[in-house]
Amino acid sequence: MSMNRHPIEQEELMAYLDGELSADQATEALSHLELCPECQTLVADFRGVSQELMAWEVESPEIGIPSEINAALAERLQKREAAKIKTSWPRSENSIVTNRWVWAGALAIVCVAVALTLSLISRNRNRSDVRRTSYPSMASIEQYLMPDRNAEIALARSAAPESISDDAKILVLEWRGYETAIEGKNGFVCMVERSWTSPFNSAEFWNPKVHVPVCFNPAAARTILPLTIKRTEMVLAGLSKAQMIDSIKAGYDNKKLLAPEPGAMCYMMSRAGHLNDAVGHFVPHLMFYFPLIDKSSWGADLPDSPVTLNPQFQGGPEPITEFVIPVAKWSDGTAAPEM
Amino acid sequence: MTSDEALMLEFQGGSRAAFDELFARYRKPLYGFFGRRLNNPERAEDLVQETFLAVIRAASRYEPRALVRTYLYGIALKLLAAERRKFLTSSTSGQSAPEPKTDGTPDSALWVRQALEKLDAPEREILMLREYEQLSYSDISELLRIPVNTVRSKLFRSRLALKSYLESEANKNPSLRASAAQQRRRGMQ
Repeated sequence: MSMNRHPIEQEELMAYLDGELSADQATEALSHLELCPECQTLVADFRGVSQELMAWEVESPEIGIPSEINAALAERLQKREAAKIKTSWPRSENSIVTNRWVWAGALAIVCVAVALTLSLISRNRNRSDVRRTSYPSMASIEQYLMPDRNAEIALARSAAPESISDDAKILVLEWRGYETAIEGKNGFVCMVERSWTSPFNSAEFWNPKVHVPVCFNPAAARTILPLTIKRTEMVLAGLSKAQMIDSIKAGYDNKKLLAPEPGAMCYMMSRAGHLNDAVGHFVPHLMFYFPLIDKSSWGADLPDSPVTLNPQFQGGPEPITEFVIPVAKWSDGTAAPEM
Repeated sequence: MTSDEALMLEFQGGSRAAFDELFARYRKPLYGFFGRRLNNPERAEDLVQETFLAVIRAASRYEPRALVRTYLYGIALKLLAAERRKFLTSSTSGQSAPEPKTDGTPDSALWVRQALEKLDAPEREILMLREYEQLSYSDISELLRIPVNTVRSKLFRSRLALKSYLESEANKNPSLRASAAQQRRRGMQ
């Protein structure tokens, strides 16, 4: 491959697919990829190799924690407890130190030690959190795919109570985009959205751990679901964020994307989703979609109002206002924590 | 979701629940790691157990400088190397090599396995760590003690070689390729 025609090397292109390039390099790779059929073929080949390797699945037997591990655990925890007792301050009457200055000094040393330990643990945790929440560029596609198709179907269904999701159409994400896994009967569509349905400026826009189970009602399936499908197609085609934004705006201008139909809403009541690293599975809630309206018309974000304005489309290219209302139960009927 | 590293620190602090969660997260991936490299389900299960036993024994020495995932695969690689050494020793004393398991293995998986066997061992290991264990280039570099650039170039070579091999095999036997492509698509229908 000539560097005159290709500003990036093939190895770099592979590294881009693996999510190994810096944000700047990844942007450069993407820009070139959009225009270069030769590189698009190479990328498709690499993705094909990865996909074919996934055919080798290893079935693991379903077992609990083996007895040897349980025994080793019990021994370790026991030793730890014993060590704690041994190293604790002597309590016999004979050894009580009465000099209050010695006590005060000892107490100060303990306080400093505890503070240092907490600070170190906190720093270490923060360090791992920073590493965990840094998603500067797109990871390889397989990192966004769920290896177990049945697990993805179950997760999609968990977005709404069984009375709704059992008869819903189910979509699953495959290499070329969302595909129908199960046809539905009631007009609802359930799926697991990925991180790229977040706002474009979200720090977790490329977080491969994001799994958002959602069930759209028929009105939302007609007018909101196409947005998710479109964003997914653009991501898989390797478009830059700027291009995606332009394409969405053009979609609304030329009426290929439609304003939310009256009554468009969705269920997000799964306890198994991961909306982002900051909120985890969040709380069960319903969401309602409108063409742009003022949040005051729903009393959203006012003191004690259960309605909040969802930031998903705020400042984005989609002319949509989205309200969130938490509900008391998860889709399986169990009680949810208060928001 | 609590991070693996936070769970490990909680386990260091004496939390049994934190260990249970780590076990639940990593038992299957570790089984896949050993299962693909040993072709012996019983030994794979044993070595998963040994990996977790090593974690328990060394818990007090764990420092969250590396991801738990990398730490676990580091232990797993050491156990795998020991297992292979043991096998080599026993095979020189007359014990025959275990035959690859073929009964019940889907054609597509066999095909992939045969393709991987064509690669040089170091390149195969890098490719497998990347594709199956989803480790980053720097994690692989740290585990195998080779420069990151070497990881990248070997990964590149091995992917090209695999692509070329898979293509030639697909031309010889198109049904196998179709079988591999459909493997992931087998679902509920």
